Amino acid sequence: MTLKHVLSGATLTLAAALPAAAQDVTFDEPIRFVTPYPPGGSHSLHAGIITTAAEPHFGQSLISVIRAGGGGAVGATEVANSPADGTVLLFGDPTINSLRPQVEELAYGTDSFVPVARINYSPAIFVARSDAPFATMEEMVAYAEGNPGDLVYSSDNLNGWTYTIFELLKARTGAEMTGVEYGGGGPAIARLLGGETMAYAGDISVVGEHIASGDLVALCVTDTARIEALPDVLTCPEAGYDVVFQFWRGVLAPAGTPDEVVAALSDGFETLMADEGFLRLIGRIGSSIQFADHEAFAELLSAEIDAMGAVAELVGATQ
Amino acid sequence: MLADLASGFAALLNPMVIGFAFIGLLGGIIVGGLPGLTATMAVAVLAPFTFTMAPLVGLPFLLGVYKGAIYAGSIPAILINTPGTAAAAATAADGNAMARSGKARLALEISLYASVIADLIATMVLIAVAAPLATIAVSVGSAEFTLLYAIALTMVAAVSGDDMLKGLIATTAGILVAVVGLDPMSGAQRFTFGTTALLGGISLIPLLIGMFALSEILIRAEDALSTRPAATVKDMPKGTSISLGGLRRLMPTILRSTGIGTALGSLPGLGAEIACWVSYGVAKRMSKSPDRFGKGAPEGVAAAEAGNNAVCPAALIPMTVFGIPGDTITAVLLGAFMAQGLMPGPLMFSRDAETIYALFAFLIVSNVMLLFLGLWAVRHMQHIVSIPNALLYPSVAAFCFAGAYAVNNATFDIAIMLAGGLLGYLLRKTHLPIAPFVIGILLAPGLENALRQTLTVSRGSLSAFVDKPSALALLLVLLAILAVFTVRGLRPASSPPSQNQQRGTEK
Repeated sequence: MTLKHVLSGATLTLAAALPAAAQDVTFDEPIRFVTPYPPGGSHSLHAGIITTAAEPHFGQSLISVIRAGGGGAVGATEVANSPADGTVLLFGDPTINSLRPQVEELAYGTDSFVPVARINYSPAIFVARSDAPFATMEEMVAYAEGNPGDLVYSSDNLNGWTYTIFELLKARTGAEMTGVEYGGGGPAIARLLGGETMAYAGDISVVGEHIASGDLVALCVTDTARIEALPDVLTCPEAGYDVVFQFWRGVLAPAGTPDEVVAALSDGFETLMADEGFLRLIGRIGSSIQFADHEAFAELLSAEIDAMGAVAELVGATQ
Repeated sequence: MLADLASGFAALLNPMVIGFAFIGLLGGIIVGGLPGLTATMAVAVLAPFTFTMAPLVGLPFLLGVYKGAIYAGSIPAILINTPGTAAAAATAADGNAMARSGKARLALEISLYASVIADLIATMVLIAVAAPLATIAVSVGSAEFTLLYAIALTMVAAVSGDDMLKGLIATTAGILVAVVGLDPMSGAQRFTFGTTALLGGISLIPLLIGMFALSEILIRAEDALSTRPAATVKDMPKGTSISLGGLRRLMPTILRSTGIGTALGSLPGLGAEIACWVSYGVAKRMSKSPDRFGKGAPEGVAAAEAGNNAVCPAALIPMTVFGIPGDTITAVLLGAFMAQGLMPGPLMFSRDAETIYALFAFLIVSNVMLLFLGLWAVRHMQHIVSIPNALLYPSVAAFCFAGAYAVNNATFDIAIMLAGGLLGYLLRKTHLPIAPFVIGILLAPGLENALRQTLTVSRGSLSAFVDKPSALALLLVLLAILAVFTVRGLRPASSPPSQNQQRGTEK
């Protein structure tokens, strides 16, 4: 059972509950858009572009607030405890919104937020050094099985996205591999290029250049469809491994935010996502938009939360 | 390459480019000069505004802010013993001692010249050997990082003053403070007492603002109550400018620190905050009269400032060549590059050569601009020391609160700042040196991470530290340093312990 199956299987969890009456909602004060990670990552980059272009679509400015700490838990907790009136929003992702609350003891839960809008998502790409003793997914798993624990791979953060992808692969194949958490995509890829580790799974914005330059070999894409930029690279299911996990970026409000406010915010993001200037900037950072409004996002998220619960059990990481 | 660079200079001959770069530098100097407003914050806040500018306008603007802020952190460090940025903490000791003996202008000028010279040399290195240097930097593994952190930690000895034991106590306290927060590998919560506010650890900048600035205010307030006002403007000798000969005598120190800053800066993860202490420590050790350090040695100012400014261009090396940011600020810059459609990485030099070389050319030009802006600023700012304390320190206190809050927009950070202020006050009163404490905080997380990563990769075997020639070489350096200390420590003291260098004892 992949995440995608779960996503298509689970329906109508929240969708029926939300009658949209967004027209009359106006915002009297600037909206704080909280990024729970340090400046410089892809999250804060997206947040910078969103808040730069947002004002005409909300009738109010969005202020980018960077609230890093605890791998996202500090910012998320703060938003969860903020007034539920739509003036404080969290720029969330699967790590802080569906995985970690289920496997760690945090001061917020998966139900502390209501989904407002999904901005986009991207799969990870499994990569190996070009001089590694394997060049396909199958060879990599075979190597790991033949040399238990010798395959050392880079990952970003405990219970983060790249971390979970490898946990998923290990759980599916039973192969033993050794992961090292380097605290971020930058050092993780640096140590891979330096030869300290052999493999990694990361966003195309992190690994793409090094695949193009020939330093890294792409093994498979953690999605059910291939990606445009690398049309020859198999999806992981195509390669025979049921590892599908997309990293989404989305906006969430504190639980209890009135439905009409959520709907109005969702509408604001929908028109923003069609803004030409906004799309041009998003294109420049090599990203794209896969908008989902608050209803669609709520469905996707609740299915993902269930799936992550299952993953956590599979990996044996439940509290 | 020279032709590329020449056309790069040509691309800069545009009033828009120079104008925005000028605004950026000036803004950076203001931000860096105000305690609590950090270079990272300024660049992060301003980056989105550049997304819609042309690349050659927006990026020089941001680079200007970055350089201006890193340089200007030394200004309040010298004038009021309050580093504007964490990277200027090592400048405060000697710089402020100089300012107090009426040599504020000299100290400010040394800081400026050291900064500009170091930055210029490191920029040349960036342009000339970025690619090979980045290749070396990327091949540096966790074992080497562990040893580099350990070697940097020995700098504690150089800044501990006369009492090594007190230095080690302060270092250990700093390490304990740094341990608070999430365990980087297992995710376990350490000393958070169940509060979310401590999950991210003790925020470094608010703590440092408290320890340096607030404790300075407390000490000053106490001075004002117990002693007569010290020298007024009229009593102070007129600020003299640095002489050519004076600068020449400082050149060995500046060049050595530039080398240290460039080498450390090009390694992803070791930032200006660490480079300034290492440069300072090495300068003291190489000095013929190390006991002048901490009491107004011009070499101390030159070493710290050359060390931290050389990091700026050097940190751009792994960023431009591999797209790997060395620290938070280059991570923000990386984002700004990407938003301009420039994807830093192995292919950027062939694909966007024109823009890249124009930016390199700008880095050189910006040094000339910084020099003139700085000289102008120094002329006026040396007078800050003559502002009556009753006016100056309350304003600084207001900035302490504003700055501590602004770092993370967190009220809790104000509490950290206040606690830091009390702690700093207690340390000064008990003559425990602050510098080792700060070094402990700065180095402990990096050391812990690198050590645990090394042991994970080697699966618990310590052989990782001797297997790789580069790691073995560093290990031998570390052992040699420790051996020298041991020998020196066992030798009976030849001179009676001189006065403690920490402020608070000097009246």
